[in-house]
Amino acid sequence: MNFTRIWAVTYKEWREIFRDRLFFIMAFVLPIGIFLVVGFGISFDVEKITFAVLDQDNTAMSRDFLHRFIDSRYFDYKGHVQSEREFDPLLADSNIRFAIIIPPRFEEQLLSGQATSVQSLIDGVFPYRAEVAKGYVTAIIANFNTQSLAEYLARKRGISKGQAIAQVSPLRLESRYLYNQALRSQWSISSGLMMLVLMVAPPFLTALGVVREKENGSIYNIYASTISRSEFILGKLLPYLLISCLNILILWWLVMHVFGTPFKGHPFFYYIASIIYVLCTSGVGLVVSLLVRTQVAAVMLTIVLSFVPAMLYSGLLVPVDSMGRETQIEAHLFPTLYYLRITWGSFLKGLGWTELWFDVAILLSYALILWGIGFLNFHKRPAE
Amino acid sequence: MNYHAFLLWWSRTFTMTIKELKQLIRDPVLLLIIAYFFTIDVYMAGSGINLSLRNASIMAIDHDHSPASRELIYRFRPPYFDFKGDISGKNEAEERLNKGQILAVLDIPENFQRHLLQGQAETVQFQVDTSNTVLGTLATTYAMQITADFGRDFVGKQTGLNSDTMEALPVIQNRYRVLYNPNRIDSWFMSIMELLTVITMLSMMLPAAAAVREKERGTIEQLAVSPLSSLQILLPKVISMGLVILFGVAVCLFLIIIPLFHLPVKGSISLFFAVTALYVFTASGIGLFIATISQSLGQVTMLVILLMMPILLLSGAWAPPETMPHAMYLAMTVSPLYYYNEMTYAILLKGAGIDILWDSILELSGLGVVFFNFGIWHFRRQF
Repeated sequence: MNFTRIWAVTYKEWREIFRDRLFFIMAFVLPIGIFLVVGFGISFDVEKITFAVLDQDNTAMSRDFLHRFIDSRYFDYKGHVQSEREFDPLLADSNIRFAIIIPPRFEEQLLSGQATSVQSLIDGVFPYRAEVAKGYVTAIIANFNTQSLAEYLARKRGISKGQAIAQVSPLRLESRYLYNQALRSQWSISSGLMMLVLMVAPPFLTALGVVREKENGSIYNIYASTISRSEFILGKLLPYLLISCLNILILWWLVMHVFGTPFKGHPFFYYIASIIYVLCTSGVGLVVSLLVRTQVAAVMLTIVLSFVPAMLYSGLLVPVDSMGRETQIEAHLFPTLYYLRITWGSFLKGLGWTELWFDVAILLSYALILWGIGFLNFHKRPAE
Repeated sequence: MNYHAFLLWWSRTFTMTIKELKQLIRDPVLLLIIAYFFTIDVYMAGSGINLSLRNASIMAIDHDHSPASRELIYRFRPPYFDFKGDISGKNEAEERLNKGQILAVLDIPENFQRHLLQGQAETVQFQVDTSNTVLGTLATTYAMQITADFGRDFVGKQTGLNSDTMEALPVIQNRYRVLYNPNRIDSWFMSIMELLTVITMLSMMLPAAAAVREKERGTIEQLAVSPLSSLQILLPKVISMGLVILFGVAVCLFLIIIPLFHLPVKGSISLFFAVTALYVFTASGIGLFIATISQSLGQVTMLVILLMMPILLLSGAWAPPETMPHAMYLAMTVSPLYYYNEMTYAILLKGAGIDILWDSILELSGLGVVFFNFGIWHFRRQF
């Protein structure tokens, strides 16, 4: 290892990156851009469900019932229709995602102490949203029922209203949301995006950096020089690592100040863990650059290897526990899962070394393996 | 334009299209990656992803140890929950939640059974880890229903208010129907979404790469001196890559999505392909514009990814348009994927036809014409 030679390569690479202004700007803009767009673009808060109403009763009670939906922030009222037929095109064109039908004699039946039924139609294209919407509808109806029943029992059995409510709804669940008191998915998504962006951007930079030399043929200068392969790889990748380490800080700042996500963990621990993760993902780029000869292929392969697993198999959108068995095994093969645990642990739960050392160790061994493969397969005399 | 000139124009365009196809076929790595996207990638997205609560680990702090508390705990069972046993107290609960070993803890107070039997309202606590919003929301929703049902059933034995007697009481029965996907099969939504992502990425990337490669290698000069207009240089790139993409979509639909995920196609397949062709044309217009402003493939790929992310995420698939802040909603209306996404689900799952979708088709065509002409215009200005 000769540090002068490493430094020479680093310096040359840095000049090259800096002179390609578009590339240089993109090296910072790309991660931030991805981060902001995904952060604002993905939301699992199910709110403002658009709906329309068919009220076949049109009485004070039916209107009172409907107002529970219209006034709720979870629903967004789009209007009344005159017949059930009119729902079909509205639902098919996604103008509404939920329809509610109140039967005739709704008030009459309830006042005379009989049961009635309300029909709701829910757009099930995205099953998760349909499930949550169903939960809201059930809750609103249950709430209405509790009041209606309690009043009825209080009259009928001559008990106080409090007693009646205790009979009707004797048991309540009080939920306490840990780590994310407001239950805003933005906290978990925005911090989780550190994982996504740092999985996508560093390998792109490294892969493009190396493959560019290959495609332009300038790599033959390196082949012919006295520099050793480990010196070249280290020197070549140092600027990109530096950019990524800077990007960690920028993203971290955005998570905290743009999305307002509190950081409860140990900053020093988290920064070290993040650098190890960046080493890992840059290693992916290094391995990609060994496999391909053109930049298009490098980009496509990087997307295959980084974007898809980061989006789908990390646990960011879909919890690992609710994946199928095979998928769970696949998920454990990617580094994203471990870094996401570290990120959520640090941001939302305030954990540190004692709880997360194992995940850091896995990331470290991951990085060592990838860089090892990179060193061993980079040959100064390529087989053509 | 007379008939002969028309024929010549098209025969030149056709020749160029064949040239593009040949160039693509001679890059086996790229072909392999394209094939991977349309088959394995879509399959993995559809089969692996499940946004529902299954066997969530739950533990209980039971301060009561009565038949009632045991019965309540017993109701937290598969498919939604998986009861892992009792724990001693809050500290242990916190430790296990921190480590992510369990999703939630049910905390049942002392005198739980006695209060219920005396007709007092009672509350149980449910601590839930919401660092994953999807799981946290669903777990809370289900737990609330389970607890409320249990309370009514348990007390109902004395007061006569159970599900059998509800018929004769003034309550609203909730009759819901989930349309289009009644069994909540996530793979339908997920596999189609992944297919749309793949189509978007390839139709932006492939024509742009084909165009900028000519620049990088200098072959663009040869084309510029040939009797070809800039439309005739660019259009064949879009046609050839569009054909490859449509072929990939057919493979994906007929070999992966329909047979493996049992997607019931409700609407017309030919309408879907027509809309897809329109979308590929629109998205490649954006790609061509990128190709005209960049000098190398490295720049193209960065710009494509930078533009692709907002297009994908503002498509309405991940977050429905109505929940968006107003500025984001306006941005969505110029995103071609927004219209294509709505139409795809409407055609394939909801069985909508031209009578319902005509306005979206018009809007998408409008965007396509604008983007494509902008790309060509910008290309022409370079020479």
